[in-house]
Amino acid sequence: MARALALAFLLVIGSASLLANLLAPATYAEQFRELPNAPPSSRHWLGTDDLGRDRFSRLLYGTRVSLLLAPVAALSSTILAALIGGVAGYLGGRIETAAMWITDLFLSLPWLFLLVAVRALLPLNVSPQVSVIITFGMLGVLGWAGAARVVCATSRSARDSDFILLARASGVKPARLFARHIVPNLTPALFAQFWISIPVFILAEANLGVLGLGVAEPLPSWGSLLRELENYSAIGSQPWLFVPLLLLVAVVSCFQLVLPKAELPA
Amino acid sequence: MNREQLMSETLLSISLSAEYAKKSVLRNITFHIERGEILGLVGQSGCGKSTLALAILRLLHLKGGRAVGIIQLNGLDLMSLSERQMRSIRGKEIGLVLQSPLSSLNPVLRIGTQLVEAWDAHRSGSRQECRNALLESLANVSLPAEEEFLRRYPAQLSVGQAQRVLIAMGVLHRPTLLIADEPTSALDVITQAEVLGLFRNLSKQMGVAILYITHDLLSVSTIADRIAVMHKGEIVECREPQAIFTDPQHAYTRNLIAALPSVPGLLPTRERTYHIPVKSHAAGRS
Repeated sequence: MARALALAFLLVIGSASLLANLLAPATYAEQFRELPNAPPSSRHWLGTDDLGRDRFSRLLYGTRVSLLLAPVAALSSTILAALIGGVAGYLGGRIETAAMWITDLFLSLPWLFLLVAVRALLPLNVSPQVSVIITFGMLGVLGWAGAARVVCATSRSARDSDFILLARASGVKPARLFARHIVPNLTPALFAQFWISIPVFILAEANLGVLGLGVAEPLPSWGSLLRELENYSAIGSQPWLFVPLLLLVAVVSCFQLVLPKAELPA
Repeated sequence: MNREQLMSETLLSISLSAEYAKKSVLRNITFHIERGEILGLVGQSGCGKSTLALAILRLLHLKGGRAVGIIQLNGLDLMSLSERQMRSIRGKEIGLVLQSPLSSLNPVLRIGTQLVEAWDAHRSGSRQECRNALLESLANVSLPAEEEFLRRYPAQLSVGQAQRVLIAMGVLHRPTLLIADEPTSALDVITQAEVLGLFRNLSKQMGVAILYITHDLLSVSTIADRIAVMHKGEIVECREPQAIFTDPQHAYTRNLIAALPSVPGLLPTRERTYHIPVKSHAAGRS
């Protein structure tokens, strides 16, 4: 029941953000210069920001950026994890040891610091579109390590199983053995990893955004929308500023709810 | 060609030692198998029987072992082959059936997929040709030769059915040698008898030689042409079942026979040791 509700909520939010062009009263960059910092009204449901941009429209577009790109980043990190962890576990021996050593190294790095450092190395003044690709690409490339470990263990246990021994004894070639006999055994773990990475990446992007290292202006994302909460003096009198935060929390918890408990890796 | 003619020629001859991390497991095992012959290899758990099965297929390294010696199949020395050449032997010339039917099938793949994989490893015919071969192989092991059966997952099979699928897979390419490593020890007694009968029939129909590895001297005696008794990594005796029972040469063989279960009051122990059981319904199946 909770799952169905969560899924329905995600679908509604997802489709609303995809239809942002139709639903939003304004574009994300349009400025209503006569009305900066306006409170909610029938024209601007969530008011306007200090540049006079309609907050509701920005929220819709920002949701689109976060909801579309977090899965893409999750997919790329899952594919990396499948390749690195899966192949390492399948081949075993020194290759596995080396791959897991690198994975351990990745896992012991301070995450936020790493993201900030990597982001700082990259050009800061880039177009909004490029900033989106950089931000989520970075998340995708850096986020594989935890998943790779799980996948490696699954792959290793499949490799040592009787059915793989039998497939070898049937003369199946190694590459095919991996693709046809090992990978199907990895899919439940990979799917779970993919699904739990999505909210993680949504949150990571929001964190980067708060630090001003995420998606560049004027393109909105949840991260840049949350930056408005930095204005401590204002939030007490402007509770509608919390709407992006509430939506973020709701969406992230729905992602957790939708994932079937059985598919969580042990 | 009938069975007697087939058996006039040596198929496999072996002289082999094997070790795991310097611990010797097989000590210069020497035996041969004739074409179409069923050789029962009997020994207790841990005596190196399964090691031998993997060593013949040159897969022992997967378990961290190493084998040295000579394995000749049809006059071809398997030990001198490259991994690539060896792959073309596995599944095609030598089939393998493992002990635990349910763990030998990939739980996430359909039966049909697994059989197709085994088929594709050595053949590249049309889909139709493959389908026909698969259905025929199911019929050969008395399983329903239906598409529906091929779509099942291993969890939807009984243990007996799973073992039949594995046997079908083992003889899919009509190999000259089938290695069966304790194929019946996970089965109940009735299924065990059926599977034993199946091996006998396959050997008759296809002329496939079978190396039947087991700890169950009694059941293998019903189908084997000869029985090799293995003890602590050595073959201590290798003769016809009749001779093993009537005139056991080695002390270990005598122990094995003495350890056979008996029903109190039904058969005197001495008589029982001279009795070679042949399961009539197993012999009668075709």
